[in-house]
Amino acid sequence: MENTIVEDTSYHGKKPIGKRLATYFRNIPHRFCAFFKRLGGKFAAIPKRIARRAEYVRKAPKAVKASMCLPGLGQIMQKQIVKGIIFLLLFAAYVVYMVLLGGKAMYNFFSLGVIPPNPWLGIKGDNSVMMMLLGILAFIITGFYLAVHFANIRDAKRTHDYVARGNKTPNFIQSLGSMFDKYFYVTALVLPIVGVFVFNILPIIFMIFLAFTDYGGNIVSTGALVSLIGFDNFAMLFSMGGLLGSTFIKILGWNILWAVMSTFLNYFGGLGIALLLNKKIVKGKKIWRAFPVLAYAVPGFITLLAFKFMFSNLGPINYYIELFGGTGKMFFGIDSKWSARLIGWLVNAWLSVPSSMLLATGILANLNPDLYEAAKIDGASAWKQFIKITLPFVIFATTPVLIGQFMGNFNNFGVFFFLRGGIYVDGYFLASDTDLLINWLYNLSIDNNYYSLGAAISIIIFVIASVISIIVYVKSPSYSKEDMYR
Amino acid sequence: MKLKRIIAAFTATLMLVPLTACNGGGMREYYKNQSLDKLYDKFDGELEGGTAARPITLRVLENDTAKSSGYLKELLDGFNAAYADKYIVAVDANQDQFSDLATDGPYGYGPDVLYQANDMLMKYCDGKHITPLPVDKLDAYEYLPELAKKTYTYKLDGEEYFMGVGVNIQAPMLYYRKDLIPENWETEWDDNGNGVFDPLEDMRAMYRFSLARRAANPENYGFMQSYDDPYFACGYLFSYGAYVFGSDNTDTTDIGFENGDASRGAGIILQLAGTMNKGCVDNSITMSREQEFAAGHYFAVPNTQDMYGTLLSETVKAYRKQGMNAGEAKRAAEENICACPMPALPKSGDLTERDGELIDSTVMGGINAYAISSYTKHPKAALAFLNYATSYEQVLRRNEVLGIAPARSDCNEACTVQSNVAHSLYGMAEENRISIMPSVFGVDRIWTPLSTAFSDIANDPYRPGAEKYTKGGKPDYDALQKLLVEVDENIYSAIYTLAGGDK
Repeated sequence: MENTIVEDTSYHGKKPIGKRLATYFRNIPHRFCAFFKRLGGKFAAIPKRIARRAEYVRKAPKAVKASMCLPGLGQIMQKQIVKGIIFLLLFAAYVVYMVLLGGKAMYNFFSLGVIPPNPWLGIKGDNSVMMMLLGILAFIITGFYLAVHFANIRDAKRTHDYVARGNKTPNFIQSLGSMFDKYFYVTALVLPIVGVFVFNILPIIFMIFLAFTDYGGNIVSTGALVSLIGFDNFAMLFSMGGLLGSTFIKILGWNILWAVMSTFLNYFGGLGIALLLNKKIVKGKKIWRAFPVLAYAVPGFITLLAFKFMFSNLGPINYYIELFGGTGKMFFGIDSKWSARLIGWLVNAWLSVPSSMLLATGILANLNPDLYEAAKIDGASAWKQFIKITLPFVIFATTPVLIGQFMGNFNNFGVFFFLRGGIYVDGYFLASDTDLLINWLYNLSIDNNYYSLGAAISIIIFVIASVISIIVYVKSPSYSKEDMYR
Repeated sequence: MKLKRIIAAFTATLMLVPLTACNGGGMREYYKNQSLDKLYDKFDGELEGGTAARPITLRVLENDTAKSSGYLKELLDGFNAAYADKYIVAVDANQDQFSDLATDGPYGYGPDVLYQANDMLMKYCDGKHITPLPVDKLDAYEYLPELAKKTYTYKLDGEEYFMGVGVNIQAPMLYYRKDLIPENWETEWDDNGNGVFDPLEDMRAMYRFSLARRAANPENYGFMQSYDDPYFACGYLFSYGAYVFGSDNTDTTDIGFENGDASRGAGIILQLAGTMNKGCVDNSITMSREQEFAAGHYFAVPNTQDMYGTLLSETVKAYRKQGMNAGEAKRAAEENICACPMPALPKSGDLTERDGELIDSTVMGGINAYAISSYTKHPKAALAFLNYATSYEQVLRRNEVLGIAPARSDCNEACTVQSNVAHSLYGMAEENRISIMPSVFGVDRIWTPLSTAFSDIANDPYRPGAEKYTKGGKPDYDALQKLLVEVDENIYSAIYTLAGGDK
């Protein structure tokens, strides 16, 4: 296979979308090869990098070597006593933590406990989940300490070089001063970073590791010990022959269709209403604008329950259908896959179009009317004006919001939970044919205690959602043509 | 090269350490067996007592109706007065009535004493979250029926443990409006001449009566039920031989909703659905049940005893609208709202036949009980409370305030409120016509597959031209049987696909 990216040069300007897609897909194998080649290169360079580090250690000044062996010692050797003591104390604190708690927590992270709880006998037993959490925390603390240790080495080197250039060794006050001057960004960011690690990164890492355990089913209710099971949860999800795997594939396909269509409907619905209300011929614009805002202001789940009632078997919609001689329909029944999906799209549009409308109204207010005047003089039709002026401008300004809406729709829990919850359809594992991944995740983890499988699905949702978002954003004019409208 | 080797060896060692530690590294087996010889020791000895400054506090979890009716306050006040000299104070746990001890207890948030249904309480057994009770120290034990004893017996490693003291038997009964019975019923609706309105004892007659009421006025119905609620609908299957789990509801690998002639029971659902409206497919009927019953649009509904109060108050309201004063309305409602066991079903499953053998209907039921949390710090005080709450006087008082059907035989005989219902339920329990909700892990997986299937069956009369379970105007028992087999399979896969070691 020729390992070069194919470029089609037979077109001037923008190529047709079909050609661009064909080229993109034809180049996928080459991109794969290139990616793995780069990755291989990185691995091949590891021995060289180790050798370079070893050389650096060998040639390092004595003070730096001392700081490598015992944090703060290099500083003390260079007469920075207070700073040296602080590094020493940090090291001592870490050692104490590791001896008393951290080492055990790291071991427990792998063992996940050995003594099963027995409340009848008052035996508390080992809490595997807590052990996993504390283990992750111990690794994070170790990571932080390593950062401090390397900072200590860099500081010893920096001081050595500074003195070697003929300067006087900076005292503690001067060092402290530099923390609020030259290195203020470090000082300012330390606490937020710690906060992010503890309250944001730690739960995410915990969720990721949970996906590699058997924490679910009876283990949750009995408090039994949890075991690491490797990739079993993912294997089950991707086993096409099994009910679980086929459910996952079916729900994923529907989820993507739902998210794309919903985003399209909500976005263009909002834009359409905004454009309509922007027209001079429309009278009473304030009142018309207020109506969708009212729909927006009502709590979402109240609206959903109201719609559920309206479309219920004895609800007003069926009442009027039968009043006019029709046959009532089961909009959310077991056979009502597509009617339920369609209602889901429309109800979601009811909930989301107002926010898109408000957004588009604000953006359209900034659009220069001269552009339309010029287009009219050039003979552009209303459609052409929309395609060439309005749409690029609005899309440029709202791509990040659009991605946010897509994500929101991809993970839209409420619509089908309230409209058609509590149904399991044949051919699906603990799910119905309108459930999205997030609903399935809820069914598995909250209704049925399958937390580990839920965690595995969360990871997959995260990967899919983030990949789509990044690709869309990077390819969007908001990113690639940032200066266009400036 | 030497440095590289050292680094490689060090890295390999670092990776090996966690591998040997993984999943306990074999130590779990060592700690697996824990002797239960001293299990009941915590109930021996003198009752724990507090001091005036630091009294012992018992947190009691009760249901919402006990709270709203004031019964719980009365119970707590009575107990606190009786044990004031020991400085033991029982308080409302202030938790949701369905709160889960398995998640709260290990972290110290759970109650000391719990009052819940058997499916809730007994599911705590596998995790040992509620503690076995010393039978010899339970005052109510000898008065409990066998069904209550069996329901609260937990088997582990060949040993039996008693886990909760039953207070209240609960199962669906047929609640009907006596004033809606036609005046000419003795000539038109008493074929066997036994002086009982036929629809109350024979579901075939109820089927005909429902059709007749609708024919007379399309707004009026006979028997009405939402089939999306499996608790109420399962009985039709049980009556024909179905069961939830094998080995007395303990073997979750044996799921039996298709057992025996269960498809006949499914056919009953299908036929009855045809006399109702589309509201029987989802929860529409349940949502408006009390109001429609009170308005006289529904003649009969299956209901549990705890909803009797709502039926009564709604009917009183309806009578008031008709011009009665408060006293008259209450008297009329109390007189006209009656209850009886669910009518017998035709053995053939055909509701259109007039003759033929009948079989007693079986219903799914439950027994609410008091149990003690394994996490309580005061087991003896908790036991004292449990004995107090399940005493003869307290159970009778509970019946007076809440209208429950007492599980204690002596209280069941002596109770005064809804006594006919209480006696009927007790009799049904003795005759095994109440299939108690299973109490094992996995029971929570049966509801949604069942609800989906029952809704699907009830939907059939409303799929003109596209029926799935009807052939030639009659139930297609083969198709219904296939559906019930699928239900069993779905429940099995829900329990065992990812069972986490409970296989």
